[in-house]
Amino acid sequence: MKLLETIRGILRRWIRRRQGPDEGAVVLHRRRIYILPTQLGVVFGAMLFAMLLGSLNYANNLGLALTFLLAALALVAMHACHRNLQGLVVHGAGAESPFAGQDAVFRLGFVNPGRLPRIDIELRSPDGREHVGSVPASGDARLAVLAPTRRRGTIRLGRCEVATRYPFGLFRAWAVLHPDTDCRVYPRPAARAPAPPAAPGAEGQRDTRRGQEDFAGLKDYHPGDSPRRIAWKAHARGGELLVKEFAGAAAPAPMFDLDATPDGDLEARLAVLARWVVDAHGRGEAFGLRLPGLEIPVEPGEAQRRRCLAALADFGSPGPDHA
Amino acid sequence: MRDLPLGMRRLAWTLCGLAAAVAPHVAHLKPWVVSLALAVAGWRLLAEHRGWRLPGRMLRSGVAVAATAGIVLSYRGWAGLDAGTALLVLMAALKLLETRTARDHVVLAFIGWFLCLATFLYRQDMIAAAWVLPAAWLLAASLLAVSRSGDEPRRLRPFRQTGAMLLKAVPLALVLFVFFPRVAGHFWGAPSNERAVTGLSEEMSPGDLSELSINDAVAFRVRFDGALPPPRDRYWRGPVLTEFDGFTWSRARAQAYFKPAVEYLGDPLTYTVTLEPTGQRMLFALDLVRDWPESMAQQSWDYQLWSLQPVDAVVQYRAGSHTRYRAGVELSAALSNRNLQLPADRNPGARALGARMRTEAGSDEAFIQAVLAMFREQEFYYTLTPPRLERDSVDDFLFNTRRGFCGHFASAFTMLMRAGGVPARVVAGYQGGDWNRVGGYLIVRQSHAHAWSEVWLAGRGWTRIDPTAAVAPERVERGLDAALPEGEPVPGRLLRRSEFLWEAGLLWDNVNARWNDWIVRFSAEQQERMLESIGFERPDWRHLGTLLGVGLIAGLALVSAWLAWQFRPRTSDPAARSYRRFTARLARQGLERAPHETPRDFLARVVAARPDLGPQAGDITELYLQLRYWPGPDARDLARLRGLVAGFRP
Repeated sequence: MKLLETIRGILRRWIRRRQGPDEGAVVLHRRRIYILPTQLGVVFGAMLFAMLLGSLNYANNLGLALTFLLAALALVAMHACHRNLQGLVVHGAGAESPFAGQDAVFRLGFVNPGRLPRIDIELRSPDGREHVGSVPASGDARLAVLAPTRRRGTIRLGRCEVATRYPFGLFRAWAVLHPDTDCRVYPRPAARAPAPPAAPGAEGQRDTRRGQEDFAGLKDYHPGDSPRRIAWKAHARGGELLVKEFAGAAAPAPMFDLDATPDGDLEARLAVLARWVVDAHGRGEAFGLRLPGLEIPVEPGEAQRRRCLAALADFGSPGPDHA
Repeated sequence: MRDLPLGMRRLAWTLCGLAAAVAPHVAHLKPWVVSLALAVAGWRLLAEHRGWRLPGRMLRSGVAVAATAGIVLSYRGWAGLDAGTALLVLMAALKLLETRTARDHVVLAFIGWFLCLATFLYRQDMIAAAWVLPAAWLLAASLLAVSRSGDEPRRLRPFRQTGAMLLKAVPLALVLFVFFPRVAGHFWGAPSNERAVTGLSEEMSPGDLSELSINDAVAFRVRFDGALPPPRDRYWRGPVLTEFDGFTWSRARAQAYFKPAVEYLGDPLTYTVTLEPTGQRMLFALDLVRDWPESMAQQSWDYQLWSLQPVDAVVQYRAGSHTRYRAGVELSAALSNRNLQLPADRNPGARALGARMRTEAGSDEAFIQAVLAMFREQEFYYTLTPPRLERDSVDDFLFNTRRGFCGHFASAFTMLMRAGGVPARVVAGYQGGDWNRVGGYLIVRQSHAHAWSEVWLAGRGWTRIDPTAAVAPERVERGLDAALPEGEPVPGRLLRRSEFLWEAGLLWDNVNARWNDWIVRFSAEQQERMLESIGFERPDWRHLGTLLGVGLIAGLALVSAWLAWQFRPRTSDPAARSYRRFTARLARQGLERAPHETPRDFLARVVAARPDLGPQAGDITELYLQLRYWPGPDARDLARLRGLVAGFRP
């Protein structure tokens, strides 16, 4: 088994050297498609061999004809399998950040310029899970690669395989992609965390806490702001997207500070911060984040959540993990 | 392979394929095997429909053991084609009991294909092929249906898609069939085929031949190199029956005689016989055969050809015969005794009659003529439906029923000869044949089965005497139909009366004969002849191998091109087509246009990489953009673009 792994490693490095990293959209042309019989294909071959021997033994020409027809069908299936990938265009289509321990979802888009659909295209995740889908004729489709994560930081999809076993499952054609795309992995929120410390000067900082009670003015739209709060009238007049802000009467918004977390190792403290961020966002509250050398001002919304979690993920630049 | 339970529709596909593969075997399978298979298939469908649980391992093992024991008991062991086929059918049925995953379905498809192959071990005619091809197709479709992921396959789609692939596979299969070197000989035991085939056997009781003659099936076909011999010479020699027990004639047990010398007279007739399978070793040749393929057959002391292997498939052989000959002028005492042997206590009347007639006649020749005259002049009738005869068959026939078919007359004549002291024997075989004008060959059918006598005369050797010709001379000259009155169940009589049907029948027979020649009997010999005809001097398997390789590569290139054409991008715009040709030419130079690249971006890259191509590429790109995006494209511009692209040879 160890030898097999070594050989596989050598082959992978060779393919990587040969193809180089893939940027932008990649056309799966002939030179990057590999094809081998599957286990079923090998059994099918053995069956054909038995049929051949039997037919030759009995000098049975019709038996031979049947054997040859099935063999020719397998050869055609081999070509059809190869062709099912050839010419397909693959491009990155974003990734979904997970918390550490969850799966990172890398999305790949497929464009089929041909007149026949590409059937049963498999995308295999590094841990062996497969996503299968078809790309319609002259159409496109998206498939995901799942990469399990262990720690916060970023995870890099250095390599993935686009494969197909259509038709019959006798052959598997595959192409290796090296997208080299990163996906941020947020720290996993701590299971148990102390309540965040109350904001200093709770009464005096009314204004900084933006709620939904009283209209307080307009501000620039950021992705993640609720569409309900977009000032559509202002947009119709001027063109720029603005978001209405309201001054609420609720408790002042907290600033989550690394220094305010209970003592422990850095990862545990980041996990506590992640918990606070997730909980505050879950309650629809605004919050800010302060890390050594970085301060994110208080704001509500999905964009803020992502901003803060990303800052937590990147803190101390943990470097990419390879999927 | 995905190990997920598969739905009803996939099960239905697999069952259809299996049913088609099993169907040709139903006739020779034991009824219990068929019933069991049907019951299991029906139960399995219901179980799928109702969501019942499949039987557990214990029950399955129990059924498997019982079924195997059943086969061993009812087929008396494993060996043989029948037992093997039954075993395959039961394996499929048992597999069905645990069929859940794609892997199980695949096993079923494989068993189905083996059953298809087994069909050809039983018969290789066109009808079998016409049935098995769609069955194999269905099985492939079921494999496609189970190998697809996701939803159940739509109605006929797997069948259609597999059909499209089979269509592409046919040229490749043809190349393999024609050029794959045929290996002579057996890797393991010769095929044992225990089915009963209608045809002549090595013994003859009264009534045997008339039963056989009702069968209009083809026994063999003969293609003559030269002219056709006249009907009175068309005696196809089969088994020579020397032993007589008073009722049944049979082949001599002991075969340890020297073959008496033959003096062949006149010119030889050469011809090729294509013999349908008989399951026996006898071969048929025109009386009297002189040349035959020695590697395939040998001739016994009574001039009968015996194949070295049982004829379980269509065989073909060339032979040369002389219709005039002098055979065995010297007769050894042992051989003479053997051909005078009569059971002492049987047919006393015929014994006495023979002895008396010989004495009255004075010579052997006169004796023969007297017996023939008796058949001709007294009230003897030739009929296909003779009455049953008593234990002393010849006495019963000569003095009582007096109605008989050729076998009765041959039997009585030979017995009388022996009683009169003239060495004689019965020869079974075929007489006559239908000329197939369309194909230029003679069809000899089971209904041409015949029996005649051979007597040994001093100075002339073994001489053929056909007593039937004395009673019904039309039988020999014009066949059964002419010799028998209306009301006799002559096979194919109605067919023969209608010219249209008869011609159609001949045409169909010709197609069958071609099938035998080109497909069933396609052998190393034909391959060699084919290679010679396309110009190879001394062809051997290396030439075949080369042609096979070249043919396969050409065939695969064809498949590849076909697929490429099917997968071609959809464009209706002629300008875009021209532009694509342009990018394809650049791609061959290593400059591939990325899907996201605009024509101008691509141009910039091309110019950077190959400044020499700049002006041409620039013109093409600008003209293309103009044609695509400016209003009112101009036909002249399009022609110019085409010209530019055609002249663009980087």
